[in-house]
Amino acid sequence: MKPKVAFFDFTSCEGCQLDVLNVEAELLDLLAAVDIVNFREVKTERGDNYDIAFIEGSISRESEIPRLQKIRNQAKVVVALGACACIGGVNCLKNSLPMAEALRIVYQDDAKYYDTMPARPIDAVVPVDYYVRGCPISTEEFLKVTKALLLGKKPEIPNYPVCVECKMAGNVCVFERGMFCLGPVIRAGCNAICITSGRYCWGCRGLVDDPNLNSEKEILHKYGLTVDQVMERFNIFNAYQEVTK
Amino acid sequence: MEQKSVLVVDDEPIVRESLQDWLEDAGYQVAVAESGEEALKIIEKQDFSVMVLDIRLPGKSGMTVLKEVKAQRPWIKSIIITAYPSAETTAEAKKLGAIDYLIKPVIPDDLERLIRETIESVGREPAVTAEVEIRPKPPVVEVVVKKSFTITKDSLKSIVENLAKEIEVVGVKSRHGKYVYDRITSFEELRLDYDVTVMPPTKYLLPAKEILLKFKVGDGSKVEPVIEQLPRAIIGMHPYDIKAIELLDEVFTAINPDPNYIARRQNTIIIGVDCLNPSPKSFAPCMGTSLTETGFDLLLTDIGADYIVTVGSEKGAELLAKYAQVREPTGDEIAKQKAVRDGALANYELSLDVPKERLPKLLEESYDDPYWESRSETCLSCGSCVMVCPTCFCFDVKDEVSLNLKAGERYRQWDGCMLVDFAKVATGENFRHDKASRLRHRMFRKGKYILERYGKVGCVGCGRCAIACLADIASPLEAFNAIAESAKIKEAARRIIREVRLETELYVPRLAELVNVEELTPREKVFEFKFKDREELGHRPGQFVEVSVMGIGEAPISISSSPTRDGTFQLAIRKVGNVTNALHSMEKGAIVGIRGPFGNGFPLPALDGKDVLLIAGGIGLFPLRSLVQYVVDRRDSFGRVILLFGARSPAERLFLGELAAWSQSPEIEFHETVDKGDESWQGNVGVITTLIPKVDFDPRKTMAVVVGPPIMYRFVIGELKKRGVPDEQIIMSLERRMKCGVGKCGHCQINSVYVCQEGPVFTLAQLRNLREAV
Repeated sequence: MKPKVAFFDFTSCEGCQLDVLNVEAELLDLLAAVDIVNFREVKTERGDNYDIAFIEGSISRESEIPRLQKIRNQAKVVVALGACACIGGVNCLKNSLPMAEALRIVYQDDAKYYDTMPARPIDAVVPVDYYVRGCPISTEEFLKVTKALLLGKKPEIPNYPVCVECKMAGNVCVFERGMFCLGPVIRAGCNAICITSGRYCWGCRGLVDDPNLNSEKEILHKYGLTVDQVMERFNIFNAYQEVTK
Repeated sequence: MEQKSVLVVDDEPIVRESLQDWLEDAGYQVAVAESGEEALKIIEKQDFSVMVLDIRLPGKSGMTVLKEVKAQRPWIKSIIITAYPSAETTAEAKKLGAIDYLIKPVIPDDLERLIRETIESVGREPAVTAEVEIRPKPPVVEVVVKKSFTITKDSLKSIVENLAKEIEVVGVKSRHGKYVYDRITSFEELRLDYDVTVMPPTKYLLPAKEILLKFKVGDGSKVEPVIEQLPRAIIGMHPYDIKAIELLDEVFTAINPDPNYIARRQNTIIIGVDCLNPSPKSFAPCMGTSLTETGFDLLLTDIGADYIVTVGSEKGAELLAKYAQVREPTGDEIAKQKAVRDGALANYELSLDVPKERLPKLLEESYDDPYWESRSETCLSCGSCVMVCPTCFCFDVKDEVSLNLKAGERYRQWDGCMLVDFAKVATGENFRHDKASRLRHRMFRKGKYILERYGKVGCVGCGRCAIACLADIASPLEAFNAIAESAKIKEAARRIIREVRLETELYVPRLAELVNVEELTPREKVFEFKFKDREELGHRPGQFVEVSVMGIGEAPISISSSPTRDGTFQLAIRKVGNVTNALHSMEKGAIVGIRGPFGNGFPLPALDGKDVLLIAGGIGLFPLRSLVQYVVDRRDSFGRVILLFGARSPAERLFLGELAAWSQSPEIEFHETVDKGDESWQGNVGVITTLIPKVDFDPRKTMAVVVGPPIMYRFVIGELKKRGVPDEQIIMSLERRMKCGVGKCGHCQINSVYVCQEGPVFTLAQLRNLREAV
C-alpha cells in the first residue's frame, strides 16, 4: 500500500511546493512510491483521504486555524514544509507592529476588507511530527524526510549549526571575509549553500535546539553590528522563534 | 621502460665500433665512450643496464670509473674487458661489484650472452627491481631516503606538473585572501609561502562524507564494502599537518585497521614544505611539530632561489629520480636552510608556559577547575573548532536509501565532541549535555587522552581552531596556559605502528537470520538470531554487537544469551530508536546484519571460584542474563550465586519464565522487587537497594556484578560499599553511544577510555579514575 500524500498551503508563496516538483531525476520514483491525492500546484482532483500531510505556510488569519486543525485530524503524519510553516518565517516580520497598522500599510484603504493576526508557525496551532526546513526547502532534504517516513524511521535532521557543514564545504569563514553570518546558531542541513555561493547565512532554517543567542549577539556586535542591526538580521526569518525563546 | 641498454667504454675505436655494431644487431641500445671522463658525463645524463669497461684508459682509469659509477648508479652491472689481466685488478674489480672479467680479444658472442644473462638475472631479483629501472630523467646524484638535496624551482615545477598528468594533485592555493587545499593543474597556482590553510588536509584521507557500504535489501539482499583507491599527491603540507597525519595513521592503522583510511593513505604522496611564515595563532614549536623528519615522501625548504628537498621515503626517492634533477647541497645551502628554519622559529608569537610533557598531569589535576564552566559560557557549540582540527577524526555513521527503498548506502560523516548531540544515546540520555563538559573533553583529548592512548601529541599547534572560533575560546594553548601549574612529567606509553594489511570487512556486517522472537513487554522483545553461514557468534557474556538494519542504521545491542547455549544468540531489545523500532516490526525469517562481538565482557577469570552477587535493574537484566545463564551452565565453577532483580512495576518484569525458574532453583538465591506494586503483586516492593540488606554475604569473597540505568549505580554502589565490598570486586556494565564498535568514531569515549574497546564492563576501581562514568 502506497501512502497517500497531500500538500497544503497557508500564508506563503508556495515556492516550497514548487521545489518539491524540482526533484527532477527522482520525480518518477517519488510518484511510484507515494499516491499524491491533493496537490494544488499539480492536479485539480482533490481527495480528503490521506496519510501524510505536507503543509506550507504560516498561520496568519483566524480562518486558517480550523482548516489546519482539520488537516491534522485527518493526517497520520504532519510535516511542516519550509520556513513559514516551520518557524513562521518572513511573515512574522509584521508581528512587531499593531495588526491594524500592518493591514493599513499593506492594503491602505482596502484594509477593512481583510482580517489578520500575528503570524505563527503551524506547530503553534497543532502538533507537528517532522520539519523540512528552509526558504525554500532543499529538495534533497525533502526526499530524505520522505524516504525516512516510507521506512518508518525518524528523519535524521542535524541539530548542529550551519558552521559544521560550512567547514565541511571548505569555506573561508564569512566573518573573515568582512561580512556577518547567523550560521553559528542556525540549524544545518542546507550544506551551507548560501555561504558556499558567496553570501552569508540568513537563518532561514531556524535556530538549533539550544542556541547560544547571547554569544552570537555579542559576536555580531564585536564584529561591528549595532544591537538594532543584530535584531534586524535575526528577525528576517526568526522573529517568531526569537520572541518565544 | 628500456632495460637493454649498454655503455661501452674503450679507448680503441675498433673495439668500440665492433662491439657497438654487434650489440645493436642483437637488439641493445648502445652508447660508447672513449674515455673515463666521457663515460661519467654520459652516465650523468643517461642510465644503463650494463657497462662494458676497459681498464687501461687515458685519463681516469677504468677502476676509478668503476668506483664512481658504483657510487652514482650502483645498479649498473659492469663487465671488465682488458688485454692486461692481473690478479690484483681482478680482485679489485670484483670488490667494486664488477660481475665478470674478460680477457681481450673478446668474442662478441660470449660478451652478448654474458650481457643477456646479466640483464635477465637482474629481472629475477625483486629486491633491486626498483633500482634497475631506467628513468627518463635520471638523477645526477644517488637519491636516498633521509638525505637532502638541492632542487631548482624548475625541477620542482617538473615534478608537480608531471605528477598532475598522471594522478590527482592537490596543493595549497589562495582563496578570499586565505589559503585552502584544492586541485591544482599548474605549478604557478601553488602557494608554498602560505601561513596556514582554512581546513587541514584531513579530508583527503578521511573525507567529510564517505560511503562505507553499499547494500541491497529484499530479494537478493547484499552488502558490499566501498573502498576508494584514488592515487593522489598533496603538495605543500606543513610539518604540523604531517604530524597530525602520523596520529591518524596510528588511530586508523594500529588496531582494527580501517580499510577506507588505509586505501587512501597508501595511495597518497605527501610533499611537505617547511612553514616559514607561521600564522600568528600557531604554537607549533612548543608542541614539537614545527619541524618533522618523518611522515612525508618529500619535504621542501624554500632557501631563496632554490629549494632543499629532503627525501622521506622510497616513494619520494622514486619521484625525484623520475621527474627532477637534484644535486648535493653546498655548505652554504645547508647553512641557509638552517637559517630560514631558525628565522621561522623566531616568528612564532605564542608558546606554552609549561613543557608539553606536563600537560596530561596538569589536565588531570584541573578536572574540576571552574575554568571549564567560565570558559565555555560563550561557546556556540558550532563545531568549528573540531571541524578545522587536523587531529580530530571522530565520525557519525548513517544510512541513506533510494526512493524505492531497495538499495542504499551506509556512509560516515565528520562529527565532533563539541556538538550538542555527540554523546546522546537513543534513550535520550546525553552523557555530555553541558557546554563545560564538552569543552573540557575536547581539551583533555588534545592535551591528554590522545597522547596517552596513541602515544602521539593530540594537538599540533596549528592554531586553526583559534582562528575559526568566533567566541575566541577554542585555542588549546590558552586553555593549557590558563590551567598551568606545576606537576610531574608523565611519560606516555609509546606504541609502534604495525605493518598493516588492507582488510575490507571492518564495517561489513555478517548476515544473521531472525529465528525466533518473543514479546517480553509491550516495549521489549527478545530476538534469537543465527548466522546465515551457521558460524557461532563466539562471544563472552557481557559483550555487545552492532545490529544493522540496512537503510535504517546500526545500533549497539548487548548480548542476552550465554555462549554456553549453542548455535544461536539472543538480543533482548527495548524499542527506543530507529533501529530498535525497525527490529520490533520484524518477524521470523528476517535478515539483519551483525558486527562483533565487541567489548571486553564480564571478567570471567576474576569471577571463577568466587561467590557472585548479580544485581540487575530493569533492562540491565538484558546484558546480565548472559552471565546468569553462563553461571547456571557452569555452576560448579562458582561459589554462592545470588541474583537480585528490580523492575519498576510488575508489568515491566522481564523473562517471566526464567524469573520463575530462578526463584525455584536450588542453585541460585534469587530475590526480586518492584518499585511500585499493584493488586496482583505479592512480592517485595521498594527500589532494588532495599534487597541488599536482606542478603547475607561475605564481602571478602564476593564479586558483585551490577547492571542497570545510570541512576541505579550510585545507590547500589553506596549500599555495597556500606557492606564493605572493595572497589575491585564491584563490576559494572556501562551504556554509551557505541557507533562504530571498533574504537574510531569517538562517540562512546568516557574520559580517556573508549567504552567499546576497554569496556563496557569496568570495575568500580577503574571507574574511580573515569570521572564521566557514573
